[in-house]
Amino acid sequence: MLICDEYLTPTSLADAFAAMTMHRGRYRVVAGCTDTLPWAREGRAGDVEIPVLIDVSKIPELNERHVGDTRVRLGAATAIQRFLDDAALGRAMPSMPRCAVWFADDQIRAQATLGGNVANASPAADATPCLEAHDAVVELASASGKRSMPLREFITGPGKTQLADGELITGFECDAFPGYGGSFEKVGHRRSLVISVVCLAVMVKLDRDGRTIDDTRLAIAGIRPVPRRLREIEDLLRGKPLTGELLEEAADMPLDLVQSRSRQEYRRDVVRGFLVRGLIAAAKRAGASPDALTRELEAAYG
Amino acid sequence: MVDIQLNATINGRNVSRAAKPHLRLLDFLRDDLNLTGNKEGCGAGECGTCSVFVDGVLMKSCLMPVAKAQGAQVDTIESLAKSGEMSVLQKAFHKAGASQCGYCIPGMVMAATAALRANPFADREEIKERLGGNICRCTGYQKIFDAVELARDVQNGRVPATALLETDTADGDVIGKNVRRIDAPSKVSGRLKYAGDMIMPGMLHVQVLRSPHPHARIVSIDTTAALAMEGVESVITSADVPGQDGFGVFVHDQPIMARDKVRYVGEAIAAVAAEDALTAKRAVAAIKIVYEPLPPVFDPDEAMQPGAAIVHDYAPDNITKHIPIRVGDVEAGFAQSDLVIEESYSTQAIEHAYLEPEAGLAYVDHDDVVTVVSPSQNITHHRHMLARIIAKPISKVRFIMSPVGGGFGGKEDMIYQGMLALLAMKTMRPVRLVYTREESIISTAKRHPSRTTLRMGVMKDGRIRALAMRMVCDGGAYGLSTEGVMRKAAILAAGPYAIPNVRIDTYGIYTNNTPSGAFRSFGALQTQFATESQLDIIAERLGMDPFELRRINAMRDGATTHTKQKIGSVSLMRALEATEQASGWEAGAPTVRGPTRGDLNHDDVRPSVTLGTRFTDSANQEAAE
Ligand SMILES: Cc1cc2nc3c(=O)[nH]c(=O)nc-3n(C[C@H](O)[C@H](O)[C@H](O)COP(=O)(O)OP(=O)(O)OC[C@H]3O[C@@H](n4cnc5c(N)ncnc54)[C@H](O)[C@@H]3O)c2cc1C
Ligand code: FES
Ligand code: FES
Repeated sequence: MLICDEYLTPTSLADAFAAMTMHRGRYRVVAGCTDTLPWAREGRAGDVEIPVLIDVSKIPELNERHVGDTRVRLGAATAIQRFLDDAALGRAMPSMPRCAVWFADDQIRAQATLGGNVANASPAADATPCLEAHDAVVELASASGKRSMPLREFITGPGKTQLADGELITGFECDAFPGYGGSFEKVGHRRSLVISVVCLAVMVKLDRDGRTIDDTRLAIAGIRPVPRRLREIEDLLRGKPLTGELLEEAADMPLDLVQSRSRQEYRRDVVRGFLVRGLIAAAKRAGASPDALTRELEAAYG
Repeated sequence: MVDIQLNATINGRNVSRAAKPHLRLLDFLRDDLNLTGNKEGCGAGECGTCSVFVDGVLMKSCLMPVAKAQGAQVDTIESLAKSGEMSVLQKAFHKAGASQCGYCIPGMVMAATAALRANPFADREEIKERLGGNICRCTGYQKIFDAVELARDVQNGRVPATALLETDTADGDVIGKNVRRIDAPSKVSGRLKYAGDMIMPGMLHVQVLRSPHPHARIVSIDTTAALAMEGVESVITSADVPGQDGFGVFVHDQPIMARDKVRYVGEAIAAVAAEDALTAKRAVAAIKIVYEPLPPVFDPDEAMQPGAAIVHDYAPDNITKHIPIRVGDVEAGFAQSDLVIEESYSTQAIEHAYLEPEAGLAYVDHDDVVTVVSPSQNITHHRHMLARIIAKPISKVRFIMSPVGGGFGGKEDMIYQGMLALLAMKTMRPVRLVYTREESIISTAKRHPSRTTLRMGVMKDGRIRALAMRMVCDGGAYGLSTEGVMRKAAILAAGPYAIPNVRIDTYGIYTNNTPSGAFRSFGALQTQFATESQLDIIAERLGMDPFELRRINAMRDGATTHTKQKIGSVSLMRALEATEQASGWEAGAPTVRGPTRGDLNHDDVRPSVTLGTRFTDSANQEAAE
């Protein structure tokens, strides 16, 4: 049970920082609360008494959304559901709608925020490999100023980030990839409401004939302390003709990705299958020529 | 505490009220406004019983601090059936029989309403996906999906509204017919009150102190600080039990709160009744207990060894119950057999996970009758046990069965009703206890984990000559239903097969694990899993069709079972035929043709679910492609 004496809902950044300064050492920031409330239960943190909860989800700056042709900027309080109901955003970040549909459920997504997902820094946080594939930059602010840093520097380990005392994540800025096909592969113990054992974000851009890979982005999570961009695979694929052999070659690169302590063999098998399946799905959505990928290949990884 | 002055529109009415800052929207709706149609099945976002609309968007109200509803329009299940007229979806749930225990149903109806609002033409796959945040433990979902499809078609004019009302029954002619449940309207509308929804004037709230140790002597319990707290009315321990303490379905080996020692993690030790649940919780935290840890035993096979820790003094061998069955001469049977196969099998503990966590209300009425209202699956037995425990004549003890929000055997044990009765007697006020999901999982019975060795001897033509089985089950810290479960497991172990020589031993063993108890099938699952798996292995070894192998050995009309029961008619042959047809089984040994078998992939085989159906056939297509 989460117990507080006061619940504040500031409606500007200035008010939020004022409250954070006033209650220094006695508050906790919340946004959607979908991580915080289940955390304060028996078996995890148990009953937690926090004097002041500061809810940042109503701050206008944290709810901004700018979708341009080359760059996207998203406020930290952007709900995950927006990737499903904002078509322009879905086109600019093509693996995110696929990620969103696997993220919790329709109801929790309406509340869960991007900022909360990143701040929580769970190795299984589903939005993080997508953001990593977009080279996302985290924007931070505090009463004394602003700073920003790449996501891959911000998340330093399971549950660990560079967020300083008195600081908020205000938003994320990243590359837009319109015209890319996107996919998101995820497996857990069941289909809905599940924590990832492995999750993979893939984006592919093809040439006009749908036969050559112009560009691709991949990042994986769930199997290591922090998400990892798969640049080796991107480099192998870029500029090559799209064939089943090439995708299997990519999946077989000896990258030793699995660092989890449990079920390593299983996770290794899943990663290999996900790489091929994710690339096939993204390539198809990018307009792959029907004869580039064989039916046998699709059946084997379907 | 700084209260929140909440202004919101709730079910169409303006509400302006002070609310405690730590409340979740669910608490505010249920406790402050008494809108109990939406339930708390888990409190952690997993089950969807708490789903409500906030500004038209479906949300899990257990994950939402009440402050987030400031200025919002909130609609609960109570908003759907205005003035008693059910919505199309509610009528469709009624028609399709899509409610059993009903505990998930208010949330399901809300989720279905949201799904059809999001896409009025959603197909069955998309409906499944959109209802993915809601769990039902009873229906197996098919009737729920049928109901949503029916409502969709009525709303879209594809079928007439009269389809919601049709029944296939003529007056009085109901057997073998599809009948609408008479209790469904109360469930689809959220009006049915489960124990945790009930309130009485002056009611106190109960919280329980539970053991962190699997096995420990209780050296001392100090309740002074808890009792001194403002708002605390009573604190009880086993010392307060006036009569002969002890309950259980077969042996009365479990005190209503731990007496002298604790035997599993989660065992109740003390209970507090206070003006509100938070005060009761704080009082529980203020109770001081000194434990002296004892060596625990967790493995039933180890518990059977000499020198193992003893869980109950009355059973120094830790055996709760041993059921032996002997028919013919098994060794001779094995000697005659062409093939003898021995395998071992194990099954794990399983939680019932009924969607309604345990809850109960107790009071002493004007005639001094101690009354307990709870979703008990066994009220008459509970009444007799409680009378002895609280030293009252049976006429002064009453049990009222509240609607059971799923039981599956898990609500047969009198786990908490004794504490409630005692607190009602102590305080002379109504008292209510509502378990959290975590409490329900940690402290109540599970399905017996089992280890089985099974030896079977067969002839080349498939006739089984002998069967020897030994099953050891982890019964956990208390007896509960273990004796009955071991008996049924043994009786059904050799299956409906005519086997001349049989030796069966089932053992229920005390350990320091969570107690095991009744669970659908009551022991049959554990032994039948072994026997039926073994028959498939034998079919493979003999190169024989597994249906054929079962037919050869099937008991026929007039057979005598292994426990000497004469049975007039045996339906096994018909069951086999029906299964064979429904599965599209291809005749032959299980191994023939491998992955190319025709029965692996045909129209009646349900494919696995994948998410993302909405991308192909809904308004969100654009966002995805
Ligand atoms: C049933 C269920 C299913 C779930 N399924 C998934 C899933 O499939 N995939 C997945 O990745 N996650 C899942 N989650 C986890 C959770 O929903 C997400 O991590 C979500 O994005 C958290 O966001 P929030 O706003 O709700 O977090 P909150 O609980 O509000 O906050 C989480 C943490 O982030 C901090 N924080 C939030 N916003 C800021 C900010 N702007 N600046 C600084 N710190 C901030 C808070 O202080 C807190 O420590 C699930 C949760 C539940 C209950
Ligand atoms: S999801 Fe809210 S109570 Fe289970
Ligand atoms: S009817 Fe769904 S849980 Fe019982």
